[in-house]
Amino acid sequence: MEAKLNADKTDWSPFPYLDDQDVISVQRGPEPGGLPGAYRAFGETLRGLKTTFGRIIEGPVTIQYPEEKTPVYPRFRGRHKLHRFEDTGLEKCVGCSLCAAACPADCIRVVAEENDPENRVSAGERFAEVYEINLSRCIFCGYCEVACPFDAITMGHDYEMSDYNRSDLIFTKEMLLAEPIDRTPLRSEGE
Amino acid sequence: MAAETRILFRNIDEPGLASIRTYRRLGGYEAVKKAYQEMEPEQVLHELEESGLRGRGGAGFSMGKKASFLPRGDMDKYLCCNADESEPGAFKDRELMQKNPHQLIEGIIIAARAAGANRCFIFIRGEYDLQGDILDAAVEEAYGAGYLGTDVLGTGQQVKLVVHRGAGAYICGEETALLDSLEGKRGNPRLKPPFPAVQGLYGGPTLINNVETLSNAPHIISSGAEWFKSFGTEQSPGTKVVSVSGDVQRPGNYEVELGVPTKLLINDLAGGPPKGHKVKGFFPGGSSSPVLTGDEGMKLPYSFEAMQEAGSMLGSGSIIVFDETTSVVDLALRTARFYHHESCGKCTPCREGTNWTVKMLERLTRGEATPMDIEVIASVQENIIGHCLCVLGDSMAMPIGAMVKKYRSEFDDKLISQSYSAAAKAA
Amino acid sequence: MSQPIRNAVTLNIDGREVTAPEGTMLVDAAKHGDIEIPVFCYEPKLGEPVGACRMCLVEIEGIPKLQTACSTPIRDGMTVYTQTDRVKGAQNAVVEFLLINHPLDCPVCDKGGECPLQDIAMGWGPGKSRFTDPKRHFQKPLPLSPLVAIDRERCILCYRCVRFSQEISEDEQLVLHERGDRSFVGTFDDRPYIAPFHGNITELCPVGALTSYTYRFRARPWDIEDAGSVCTLCPSQCNVKFTVRDERALRVLARDNEDVDDGWLCDKGRYSFQMLASEERITEPMVRAGDGTLAPVSWEEAISKVAAGLRDAGTASAVLAGGGTSNEEGWLLQRLLREGLSSPNIDSSASGARADLVRELSSPALGSRMRELDYADAILVLDTEPLNEMPILDLRIRKAVRRTGAQLLVASEHPSSLDGGAAEAVRFAPGEAAELIGALAAALGAPGYEDDGPHAEKAKAIAELLRTGPDPVIVWGERLFRTPGAVEALLACAKALGIDKRLGPGLLEVPESANGRGLREVGCLPGAGPGLAPTQTGAAASGIRDGMVNGEIKALLLSEADPVRTHPGSEAWRKALASTFVVSIAMFDDPSTAYANVVLPAESHAEKEGTVTHPDGRLQRVRPNVPRPGQIRPTCQVLTDLAATLGQTWDLPDQPAVLAAMTDDVDFYAGISDETIGGQGVRWQELASGRSWGPAVGGRTDNQGDPPPASAGSGLLLGTYRDLWASEVTERNPALRFLKRGQMLEIAPKDAETMGLENGDGVRVSVNGTSVEARVAIRTRMEAGVGFLAEGLAENNGNALVNGAGTRIEVEKTAPAAEFEAAGMGQKATVLSLEGEAAAR
Repeated sequence: MEAKLNADKTDWSPFPYLDDQDVISVQRGPEPGGLPGAYRAFGETLRGLKTTFGRIIEGPVTIQYPEEKTPVYPRFRGRHKLHRFEDTGLEKCVGCSLCAAACPADCIRVVAEENDPENRVSAGERFAEVYEINLSRCIFCGYCEVACPFDAITMGHDYEMSDYNRSDLIFTKEMLLAEPIDRTPLRSEGE
Repeated sequence: MAAETRILFRNIDEPGLASIRTYRRLGGYEAVKKAYQEMEPEQVLHELEESGLRGRGGAGFSMGKKASFLPRGDMDKYLCCNADESEPGAFKDRELMQKNPHQLIEGIIIAARAAGANRCFIFIRGEYDLQGDILDAAVEEAYGAGYLGTDVLGTGQQVKLVVHRGAGAYICGEETALLDSLEGKRGNPRLKPPFPAVQGLYGGPTLINNVETLSNAPHIISSGAEWFKSFGTEQSPGTKVVSVSGDVQRPGNYEVELGVPTKLLINDLAGGPPKGHKVKGFFPGGSSSPVLTGDEGMKLPYSFEAMQEAGSMLGSGSIIVFDETTSVVDLALRTARFYHHESCGKCTPCREGTNWTVKMLERLTRGEATPMDIEVIASVQENIIGHCLCVLGDSMAMPIGAMVKKYRSEFDDKLISQSYSAAAKAA
Repeated sequence: MSQPIRNAVTLNIDGREVTAPEGTMLVDAAKHGDIEIPVFCYEPKLGEPVGACRMCLVEIEGIPKLQTACSTPIRDGMTVYTQTDRVKGAQNAVVEFLLINHPLDCPVCDKGGECPLQDIAMGWGPGKSRFTDPKRHFQKPLPLSPLVAIDRERCILCYRCVRFSQEISEDEQLVLHERGDRSFVGTFDDRPYIAPFHGNITELCPVGALTSYTYRFRARPWDIEDAGSVCTLCPSQCNVKFTVRDERALRVLARDNEDVDDGWLCDKGRYSFQMLASEERITEPMVRAGDGTLAPVSWEEAISKVAAGLRDAGTASAVLAGGGTSNEEGWLLQRLLREGLSSPNIDSSASGARADLVRELSSPALGSRMRELDYADAILVLDTEPLNEMPILDLRIRKAVRRTGAQLLVASEHPSSLDGGAAEAVRFAPGEAAELIGALAAALGAPGYEDDGPHAEKAKAIAELLRTGPDPVIVWGERLFRTPGAVEALLACAKALGIDKRLGPGLLEVPESANGRGLREVGCLPGAGPGLAPTQTGAAASGIRDGMVNGEIKALLLSEADPVRTHPGSEAWRKALASTFVVSIAMFDDPSTAYANVVLPAESHAEKEGTVTHPDGRLQRVRPNVPRPGQIRPTCQVLTDLAATLGQTWDLPDQPAVLAAMTDDVDFYAGISDETIGGQGVRWQELASGRSWGPAVGGRTDNQGDPPPASAGSGLLLGTYRDLWASEVTERNPALRFLKRGQMLEIAPKDAETMGLENGDGVRVSVNGTSVEARVAIRTRMEAGVGFLAEGLAENNGNALVNGAGTRIEVEKTAPAAEFEAAGMGQKATVLSLEGEAAAR
């Protein structure tokens, strides 16, 4: 496009339009000066500053992260957790891979295995031998939680997952089953 | 008794009728001689067709027409006599076979002439052990007398007859299941078409008829179709042996002309319900026919077409009467349990529908059902009817559906809300 | 009967005009109009519909009741509705009924995601159930066989597996127990369902009731990729799909191809994927060091070692190509040998097939398509056991007998599993094939054959039945080449029947190795070059062996061949291999690599790229599905590199280039490319190149059969046969190991009586001091005076005793059957212990 327009012109110009044809008329206000001019220059600015000064008395709102942390809402979608049954201690996950199917970022990998009736891992016939979530890919959409037929995976409140290594962001089943360190405060009712 | 018209039962109480000597003394096997020595197969077939004899096993299809569907030509053709009389309430074939086996054998030999069948079987219900033994002996006698064998009465036609005992499944009364069972397989109904007349036993053309139907054949041949048609109604000619049972004073088999008033059968012949009770309802044609209430059913004539018009069927002609002491819910459960037990499991609606119905009715009798359950029971019956491979599913769904419709208040009385209110009253 | 012509029929489904061939069932016809009618029990591969599931009910104008679309053939002008409220009501009702007793445990069920019940319940179901009562319960999962688990709660009783067992594989082991909703699928007395095709039921099952232990919980449909290829473990060359997850094959499924396998797979092909990723595989080139051990080396070193060895031998080199070798590899091998080393000694089987006869038999007029079996009037199975040598052919023959009423005739040395359904089954003693076929040729009136031998009666009976219709098919085993004169007689029979005059009926060979036909056609035959062109005659397999022993042949290259195990005369082969320079291209350590100086790793059929030729002349593509493990290189590339080291520059950088060069060289493959082969393969006879087939010019070679017996003893005549499970595949796949069998001496009841032997007795069978241990099995359908041993076993191989035709064996009883019973090794115990083994896991 650019090249074509420039080629039409006899002398070279860096602008991609034709000076004589592509004219857009701009409506302008009156020239500055006098009282109206001064008002235009400062009036709106002062109006904006009213809000600024009006909040000064509220004190600073900046949170001193990481010393201080913003509380999250109960339904905040943070790092995933896998669950066990409270009574039997068996894993709720049966390794059905529905979370992996639902995942739009394709970050969950499940490899199932058959339960040994003597030494059960989960309540069903199968269990997840490998359960990995690549948190560097996860978009925290929560579809996995919705897809799970056994409420085995839920989104937790933890959002602090930075690490020095990409490979360390692949969370294994053991990491996801472990009780997360309570790092993030939960917003209390009405807050 | 005057109301009875005895053709099949003509000499039924004659001592020693089961032996060929007595049977022949009373004019037996004359029809076979006539059919084989004086008539061509086409004539025999024509006579049977002309008589309008309808199948007595349940479906009521014209016997002659059925025989005419068999292809002509030189091949092994089969004739099966369906003696697997398992329908609750039916016991007419038992008496016919026990007391007059030669009448049946003669009928088979005549039908074999009409259909061109050379291999015949009597598939008899396994529980009919005595009747099986009697038939075995009678068949032996008939072989000895030359009515059966490779050369019947010197005509050169081969008719071989084997009595085969069933293994106790109700479904083997269904013609295609009977064939499977006879072939030594699991007795499951086959998909139709192909119909047995084209591809039946061992893949050959097969004619299947009920005991009573075949027992009529000698009389039609010896006395003629016109004579036969003088009995009964226009669409249901002939007589019918009706088994009446249940809450009646004189249960038993009664042979009547088709079209007699039902009231005559139940009240006069069978003696009606016990004194002080009245007919609450009855199955007009075995446990698989939709029940009729006493009020609507008693005034109907007893014929194929009248019963069909009333939304029921004549079926195998077995009336089961119940009076007001019988709970229809219990009756429904008993009926459903029978069909649940006898379902072969081949097609889905029957297999699962009978099972579901029993479970719901059991809950109902325990007083644990909700009003929705009765709707579901009715809807399940509708979902079964017309969707099954054979008629067994319909056989349960039709009577149960009719019971729910006609005796709804009895079902409502068993609901969980009723048991609560009863408990409240007691408290 | 020939293939029936089916006219087009037009009908109206849901207001759409649909045209389909007559005789089509409504369900299939609807697909022509993009209308789907749901089905569970209907599967055209299983034969006649049964109409059990009632899912396909539709409304047909003029018929008051709803009809099952799976069993209603279409008629011209019929009007069908599949979307009316009545039909939808019925579909909802059936789905609701089906789910009453279904546990709905989809998350743990292996079928989840590829389950027809899930799909149909979503698409045609009411969405919710009104069923609130307790469901039916069974113990689950139970092993139905060591390879298949059964979950009876999930079963919807569609009868597919039972019909397969009763009517397709005809093993008749699966039955339905009990009645009504208490019905369940099982075997008699809960015995393990062990049959050569039983894996197919897992693929047929429309729910998760039958699942493979080998695939149990391994992957979900969204985790996997499906890749099509061809199984090259036997001449059936079934079309398969590998299920691949994380670059490993986890399952093998059938890929329907009516011209090849009819959509079935044998268990050998289905469960042999485990060996692909086996720890035992050879994954790098190895050279035998001074101390006799094999040490890994670089490819360059290995190839230069091989080149040096071959160069030293020069014209005294030889090549044996095994069944797994592709056409391209075979062509390169013969080119390497013939051009690079000027040696003619190449063979691809143990039968000693004569080049001139092979050429005559390859004529398009004589050959039969696989599909021809479906329309054959009579099928003669001649000296082959399809179940063991080409399993899918066994199903195809059974199908022809069951569905189209073909007359089956069996004439073989060894009792055949097809005897039961045969109109005529005759036996002849080992080595008498030529006499029997000669008698048959005489009975058929072939010129030059006299009818006076002891087989005249049998032959007359067969000849009469062969003439029942115009379209006979003769299935014959390559083994016939072992008996001089047999194949000539077969050709005479074919001509007397007029097979060469008619399109359709014909001869179908069962080669001894998987790609036997292809390898011969590309030139792996002594005496015939690419395209079966006459060339300098070399030594056949037995000649190579003898040449190696007496020093005439100095180097041998084995390409996926294991002569010690599969060729007659194991001991002679061992001696031969020990005395020469041997290079072996192999997947695993086998008895022959034990003698190899250089071992090169071979690609498996899931890794290879190339073409193979089906026994009926169909070229098919083997496609790479999984990466080659370790250092393995494509064999085509290795051979090209080897040729380059030997001074031959070929400029064939990859498989497509080799294919192009090969089709140029083999005249009747002309014009065949990857595109013409496509997904279903193509028969060269049906292409322009095949139609221009001309008879061979000259070039008669003299590969006679086995030499006369070294010693004529007095004992039983020895016969050998191949067993389906007597192969390396059984040993290398953990899932199949339970099928590994011991040697059995099969004898007729009469011989057992005279020798005082009983079923299960332990015996030592010996010939000239070589002996094998075996257990006695008395077979009734055998000729007296013959003892049969299985070939190809790892231990006690029957091949060890074969020493030319007419070998006689000495039998000596070592232990009575009772002793084995006591040690828990009785015959009954062996069968029942399989259940517990469940080796697959």
